[in-house]
Amino acid sequence: MTEPVPFGDPAPTAPAPGASLLAQAGPFDPPNVRWQPVSRKLITVRLTTVAIVLVLPLLGSIALAAFGGVPGLWAIPGLVVLVGLWAVVLVPRQVRAMGYAERDDDLLIRRGVMFRNLVVVPYGRMQFVDVQQGPLNRWCGIATVQLHTASPGSDAAISGLAREEAGRLRDRLAARGEAQLAGL
Amino acid sequence: MAPVTWRRVHPVTPVVKGWKMVAAILVIGAQQAGNNVRDAEEALQTFGWGIFGAVLVGLGLLGFVYAFIAWRMTRYAIDDELIYLQTGVVFRKQRSAPLDRIQAIDVVQPVLARILGLAELKIEVAGGHDSAVRLSFLKEDAAQALRNSLLARAAGLDLGPDHQRQQAPAAPEREVLVVPVGRLVVSLLRSFVVVVPILAFAATVAVAWFSREVGAVFGILPVFLGSAGYLWQRFSGEFHFRAAQSPDGVRLRHGLLEARAQTVPPGRVQAVRLTQPFLWRGKDWWRVQINVAGYGKADEQQTENVLLPVGERSDALLALWLVLPDLGAQDPRGLLDAGLSGEAGDPRFVTSPRPARWLDPWAWHRNGYTITDRALLVRRGRFNRELVVVPHARTQSLGVRQGPLQRRLGVASVTLHSTPGPIRPLIAHLEASAAGGLMVDQAARARQARAAAGPERWMLDLREQARASLRTDAPARLDLPIGPA
Repeated sequence: MTEPVPFGDPAPTAPAPGASLLAQAGPFDPPNVRWQPVSRKLITVRLTTVAIVLVLPLLGSIALAAFGGVPGLWAIPGLVVLVGLWAVVLVPRQVRAMGYAERDDDLLIRRGVMFRNLVVVPYGRMQFVDVQQGPLNRWCGIATVQLHTASPGSDAAISGLAREEAGRLRDRLAARGEAQLAGL
Repeated sequence: MAPVTWRRVHPVTPVVKGWKMVAAILVIGAQQAGNNVRDAEEALQTFGWGIFGAVLVGLGLLGFVYAFIAWRMTRYAIDDELIYLQTGVVFRKQRSAPLDRIQAIDVVQPVLARILGLAELKIEVAGGHDSAVRLSFLKEDAAQALRNSLLARAAGLDLGPDHQRQQAPAAPEREVLVVPVGRLVVSLLRSFVVVVPILAFAATVAVAWFSREVGAVFGILPVFLGSAGYLWQRFSGEFHFRAAQSPDGVRLRHGLLEARAQTVPPGRVQAVRLTQPFLWRGKDWWRVQINVAGYGKADEQQTENVLLPVGERSDALLALWLVLPDLGAQDPRGLLDAGLSGEAGDPRFVTSPRPARWLDPWAWHRNGYTITDRALLVRRGRFNRELVVVPHARTQSLGVRQGPLQRRLGVASVTLHSTPGPIRPLIAHLEASAAGGLMVDQAARARQARAAAGPERWMLDLREQARASLRTDAPARLDLPIGPA
């Protein structure tokens, strides 16, 4: 690192001014960013989804164990219950880890507890914005806002926004995108 | 909107397209017959060859009639801003695409069209699946003339009010790269697609010899067929590859049966990748691919995204220079050499930290990136080498990811999101804090580069540059190849 650099130009390895700050904060907490959490109602929605998915296997395996006559079969409903408990522990943490931040020129979205993920989407790169609402979401009054760029890789969706906030965010994003739109 | 003149595509089109239909019917028929040979035989016996042939001819005629109606219903027009295309017999569709959003224009000639002197004009605009405007078929010289006038208009040249009649002159071009057939063949032979089946064959022959059973040898027939198909695709697609430079952009011509002439205007290339499979190392050959928004997602066999099928290092660098003339580095050649074949310890590249060796024991000290004024360079791999160049102005969005193991080791991976294509730039296992810093800085750099980027109509940009260079006596950068040193 301390070797003299040939050709006289500064090495790109030189730390950026904000790097020392970042070193303390980690890659998922850029400095001077105020994160907006998503609605806690998303926990309800996701846990309800899990419950709906698990209820049939649970009933089926209970029936099988009750009439199967083999005591070992009770392990299956036990396993299903364990999966459900795991979801009850994990989902609230996941939802609390989600957040987004509107900066002057780009939108930051982060999520994930075990596998963490942060996406930076410049407003000028947005091609269109989707607002989606499934039946459970509608029941809880929340929605998902998804940003699309010209790249299929930018997976920029914010779930669990209160309905009014989703509408406001969509309009703000559209306005900012228009102001900064550049070609591809 | 001023009234536009609608034109039809060439009247021979239904003949070419009708044959396509006949071929499709024959293929489907053959497949069905192949699936149940007995039923097919029975059907033939009960109906007799005559009726069978009549049905085939009838279906074929139907195909031609449909193709004729489709031709009657297809028309296109061009004005100053847009190109319009109306198609569809039952469901009518009118597509209009802005000329300044053209990402690339291809002149494609399938075998039959080539024999008849026809060509399809494929105008690529960025969009979802199947977003191209296809004019098929036109006379070959008409297709080329139309391409020239579209490119001229997209570039912002004023062709005068009576543009429908006035022909845009073909932009002067200079051929800069040619791939000899011999080299293409050798490069294809030097691949695991060839080596693995041969080894498998040797192994099965050995097994057959010792076990006195010949059956095993036939077992690997599918492997042979698979790799033969792959090699044929590559060979016929990349046959007689030539690249030329013109003010319109880069012209790429290739193809054995289906001939293709692509034009990618300046600034349309979203990312470039130079790769060297392990078996090309002795020759120091490289393959260059590009992401262009219109070409979309392509697998390895598709040739649309190939900028150079195989070439020596100087050729590959020349190809890179064709699409990205200015890397914004002090010593571009040295930097690129370090990116292509440099090993650990080059101070210009930021590589994975030592703990990353647990995740990538072979290449951790080669995987890394460097940043110039214009682009981000990512190098990867130790056996199969790879260098990806993404201009700052073409970064769509950025992401950083960290799994539990990576967190343990204090590293994180950064991805640059590019338009759909073979290249997905990924900087694996960077030091976590550096990854965060890179994200923030790269977002800022991309923003600045976009703000400074030229207009979509690149001739205006070139004119502006020419004026600027006259004012300041700046060196004309466009004529300084970094390739042949």
